[in-house]
Amino acid sequence: MSMRGFWPAVPALLLLFFFFLFPVVRMLGFSLEGGSFDWYAKALGEGLYLRVFWNTFEIALLVTFFCLLLGYPLGFLMATTTPLWATVGFIFVLLPLWTSVLVRTYAWMVLLGRNGVFNRLLIDAGIVEDPLPLLHNFTGVMIGMVHVLLPYMVLPVYGAVRRLDPAIVAAAEGLGASSWRIFWRIYLPLTLNGIFAGAVIVFVLSLGFYITPALLGGGRVIMIAVLIEQQVRETLNWPFAAALSAVLLAFTFAVYALAQRFTRPQETA
Amino acid sequence: MDTRKLNRRQAVSLLGGAAAVGAAGPAFGQTEPPKPAQIVVNHSGGSMGTAMRKAFFNGFEKKYGIRVVETSPADFGKLRAMVESGNVEWDITEIGGQDAIRATKLGLVEKIDGKIVDRSGYPEKVRTDFVFASSVYTTIIGYRTDVFKNGTQPKSWADWWDTKKFPGARSMRNHPTDNLEFALIADGVPMDKIYPIDFDRAFKKLDQIKPAVTVWWSTGQQPAQLLLDKEVVLATGWNGRFYDIIKKGAPVAIEWNEGALKQGSFVIPKGAKNPYWANKMLAEMSVPQQQAVYATELGYPGLNLESLKYVDDKVKPFLPTQYIDKQFWIDDAWYAENGNKAIELWNAWMLKKA
Repeated sequence: MSMRGFWPAVPALLLLFFFFLFPVVRMLGFSLEGGSFDWYAKALGEGLYLRVFWNTFEIALLVTFFCLLLGYPLGFLMATTTPLWATVGFIFVLLPLWTSVLVRTYAWMVLLGRNGVFNRLLIDAGIVEDPLPLLHNFTGVMIGMVHVLLPYMVLPVYGAVRRLDPAIVAAAEGLGASSWRIFWRIYLPLTLNGIFAGAVIVFVLSLGFYITPALLGGGRVIMIAVLIEQQVRETLNWPFAAALSAVLLAFTFAVYALAQRFTRPQETA
Repeated sequence: MDTRKLNRRQAVSLLGGAAAVGAAGPAFGQTEPPKPAQIVVNHSGGSMGTAMRKAFFNGFEKKYGIRVVETSPADFGKLRAMVESGNVEWDITEIGGQDAIRATKLGLVEKIDGKIVDRSGYPEKVRTDFVFASSVYTTIIGYRTDVFKNGTQPKSWADWWDTKKFPGARSMRNHPTDNLEFALIADGVPMDKIYPIDFDRAFKKLDQIKPAVTVWWSTGQQPAQLLLDKEVVLATGWNGRFYDIIKKGAPVAIEWNEGALKQGSFVIPKGAKNPYWANKMLAEMSVPQQQAVYATELGYPGLNLESLKYVDDKVKPFLPTQYIDKQFWIDDAWYAENGNKAIELWNAWMLKKA
């Protein structure tokens, strides 16, 4: 980076330093209270916290998977359809993004409950006899989280497909490649960046989820953010909260590094 | 009597205003610090904010010309962060019972000025130096009246645990407080022998009810909503939330027996910007007529015993103070000591496969 390019970035760097780096370092300092690793020993040594870390990662992975499953085709479609339909798609994707997570979570409670809209439709249509357990369990948490996070997958995929040079696709078509082959050999490898970006954003945001699992999971689905919040607000054990946060941060970086290594060859291809 | 008091207050406030405008010299009698444009009251939000505005804030604003800004929710962690960083935004804040005890021990709160806040109508034991007891609430059983007709609802925690005689989905709070106590009572412990809590015995009893509890609620509004949607037919919850939906005609009723009583509290954070006006606000909140307005609105009676005189007879059956004899008080002091341990055990228990 030349110095000329450096100076305009100074305000942003200062902002990052004071409002991101500095607090994170302070937090790490908290976690090492009295120069001991006791709180880390507790975070990593007690079955309870490891279980919750594991739960959190499992949920984040599944949410990422479902977001990809739903988000890729949608982003792809929006990037390749007519401008009018793309606009309609954008409205549907972005509108929920501007609505409060809490409102959306409550809306799901109305829709998914035992006497909710979905179950009543299913029962009236004679498809099921007893209401399906869609709420206050793992399923409810999945539905709610995927809904909240889907836009973060759709948008990078959309961007990646748009950036793709249509001439490559035209050339492949001209050479007689099947559409399946075009997808596998051209679209997929060349949009991997978008997939990767979307997946990382969704995964990382999932890790910190709090309200949605608490309300849609019936209290049984416990994610690490809930325990950290408890340590901050209820038990006032800030050193331990800091240690839990630091462990979460370290895991997140590890996953990120792993994912990046995994996708690098295609990235430069 | 009331008008006389008002006049005196107005006079004092006029004096204060005069002192603030011009005179730097000593005013006679009680001098009032200059009026801020606003004070900040932090509370748990929702319908509570609406009721507080109606009962206390509007009157305060009119009387003193100081705007009352409301923030929420009540947050012990934030209180500590504010006091320790010296950036105290709140003039008064609501606080949970056990947190009030811990906040006092940690030196996070200001002493209440007995010369400004008159608590002579309060029971002796709640007139503490640092904590203002604002109201009484209780965790009790709410039930669907279309499922449990003509008094066939569970009337004790032993009944609540009896899923054969009282079938149906239940909801309980996702927290050890209340539930540990209910489990012990269901297991035969008399209400006055609950503390210190025997964790093993309580969790063993909770194991039995776990499969019947479909929702462990985490916000106060949830149990009322769950009953309304018939997501569950029985729910433990705070009496005011049930009162609210019953008022609006929901097929829900309250079983008061063996409820867990708690005291709602407010404190002045240490280093609050306007301690004098914070005390004035607490004074407003201790006026019996205003407490009656609050109780009628929410179902949470104030602790000024005189306030009941101003409550309509139709509202009285919904106030927990009418049933104190068949309920028990949550022991905040015990939780201040053992709360963290209880939460840890609760989390572990919740993760355990049923």
